[in-house]
Amino acid sequence: MTAARRCVTTIRPAQGWLDLDLRAVWQNHELLWQLVVRELKLRYKQAALGVAWAILQPLFTVLVFTVIFGIFARFPSGGMPYSVFALTGVLPWTYFAEAMRRSATGLVTNSELVRKVYFPRLVIPLAGVGSPLADFGFGLLLLLPLMVWHGVMPTWSLLTLPFWMLAMLALALALGLWLGPLNVRYRDIMHTLPFITQIWMFATPIAYPLSMIPSKWRALYSLNPMVGIIEGFRWSLVGTARPDLGAVAISLAVIAVALVAGLIYFRRMERSFADVI
Amino acid sequence: MSVSAAIEADGLSKRYVLGAAGGRYDSLRERLTGATRRLLGSACEAETKQAFWALREARFSINHGENVGIIGLNGAGKSTLLKILSRITDPTSGSARIDGRVGALLEVGTGFHSELTGRENVYLYGSILGMRKAEISRKFDAIVEFAGIAPFIDTPVKRFSSGMYVRLAFAVAAHMDPDILLLDEVLAVGDLAFQRKCLDHAHQLQKRDATILFVSHNMFSIKTMCQRVIYLRGGRIEHDGSVEGGIELYEKDCRMSPLHWTGTKPQEWPIFITGSELLDEGGSPRRLFDFGQKMTLRLAYDTRNPVDRPNFIVCILRSDGVPVCNYSTEVDGLDLGRVSGPGLIELDLPPIKLVAEMYSIDVLIRARGFQEILCGQTAGIFHVRHPLFDTHFGVFHETPKWRIERTARARLGDDRN
Repeated sequence: MTAARRCVTTIRPAQGWLDLDLRAVWQNHELLWQLVVRELKLRYKQAALGVAWAILQPLFTVLVFTVIFGIFARFPSGGMPYSVFALTGVLPWTYFAEAMRRSATGLVTNSELVRKVYFPRLVIPLAGVGSPLADFGFGLLLLLPLMVWHGVMPTWSLLTLPFWMLAMLALALALGLWLGPLNVRYRDIMHTLPFITQIWMFATPIAYPLSMIPSKWRALYSLNPMVGIIEGFRWSLVGTARPDLGAVAISLAVIAVALVAGLIYFRRMERSFADVI
Repeated sequence: MSVSAAIEADGLSKRYVLGAAGGRYDSLRERLTGATRRLLGSACEAETKQAFWALREARFSINHGENVGIIGLNGAGKSTLLKILSRITDPTSGSARIDGRVGALLEVGTGFHSELTGRENVYLYGSILGMRKAEISRKFDAIVEFAGIAPFIDTPVKRFSSGMYVRLAFAVAAHMDPDILLLDEVLAVGDLAFQRKCLDHAHQLQKRDATILFVSHNMFSIKTMCQRVIYLRGGRIEHDGSVEGGIELYEKDCRMSPLHWTGTKPQEWPIFITGSELLDEGGSPRRLFDFGQKMTLRLAYDTRNPVDRPNFIVCILRSDGVPVCNYSTEVDGLDLGRVSGPGLIELDLPPIKLVAEMYSIDVLIRARGFQEILCGQTAGIFHVRHPLFDTHFGVFHETPKWRIERTARARLGDDRN
């Protein structure tokens, strides 16, 4: 017997609040990767247009937005062509909504696994926020020709893109960590989610610029963490007005609190998943 | 403290809460209405929350290289025990210490995705079972070889036959190489040939000094695989030791225990079986018969209320759950009239020529005309023995007559005219 290879596991009832055990998640990073790859493969299987859908979906949304809000309603767009303006909001929003949906419902859609196999359950919401990243990447490919067409050049602020991406991923994950365990118990979450996502989108400067919000409401409005993030994305991608640092700070604070609390909540709840799901 | 224990369980217990709060998924609305009712002070809490101990104070120690069978009736806590040891669910109290890499196979093929190809599923399922990618790549050819589906490996598994699907899934699981293997009824899926393949593989693992915990209802596999048996009854360990002792307890409990699927409550049955015995031609009780031997089943019954013309049904099931034959007083033309009070019913079976296997007997009593089920109970198991005919040969064997004609004039019916 090789003593070094031995791993000893101790099984005991749940105890402690701060037993996050993130090491176990790292040990299962290959499973995480497999689950992300599975989602990607499944998403466009048996679709004639395949991966093209990752570009077509945001394209159609932006088309509708441009016609309704840009041409008919004549929303201002901060000096940008409206289509570029809308796409820089629609792309991150699409990622966010999808990442949140997947990480919140993943436990239930994978209930067979949860019931019959042991693995750190955190892998599921993580895979949920991981797999839509690919669609986001494809979407950026749509933005490029549109920017060239309208003669919009990226600026050095593009370097901050990973930062906004990370913040958005963290927010989607935080929500997934809260909603996932709730959804295990109450499937109502699954049914309210599309509706909440829609309302949330209209409470975020996707189709209209932040400047349309009266300044006395601005602070309250900025409590929505997606406000700072979307503004950041726009600034980073096409160099619109730099986001208000105060709003960004609020966003980050909200995200950090929600994420840490979400992790603790998820770890507490995960022990009963197999019994309740 | 010995260093060699592979599994050391110390008072493992698991409590489930039945009813609204802990049941399967409840809707938020029910939760809210429940909370309001509680606020308003109606005393409905006691009836909605009912605790149930699936496992109580399980204490045992299993050494490296030991193969232990876990047996018991349905709901005795076998699966709960494996779920706790494989960390799928947490114990309510108690603890366990596990020394070595655990491979748990509670169901073959969970995690397989029908849209993905065989190859993709091997990697996915492998990592779900806790294997590293490099490890899967190394064993890939061996896995495909074991499953015997090499030409189809790049086909989506939704196009697989169910046999191929299960074989591939098991092949992946079989190559886990764990130090400790937890198996829950996995051998019950698939045909008997497949079950044998699984058993063979378990034997190979045994040779490599792996520790195996094995839940099964199949006493044959328990006997061939295990040197030790843990018998569970109502969540408690009733026996931990010899295989014979455990099986004896199991067979005793098996007799007359209610069949769960009938969905009826034993305490409300108007008529029920109080005891059974299986006799040979000479009238002595036995549970092991030679192929083609006559059997007599005697059932003692009692009633709570008088029952009008009940229909007694005896069903013989093979160890993998396949019903092999069925006898019913109504079909066989015995009118029992009005039944009240205790009595005895006897069934003389013709020499049923079932092949060598383990069989179980289920007894159902229905109202006249195969109406509602009045009672459903098990009447124990029996084994059939034959030097040659086993399930490889079929379900039963009846000696036929063979003839041969060695002339040039021999013709089949069609050719004659």
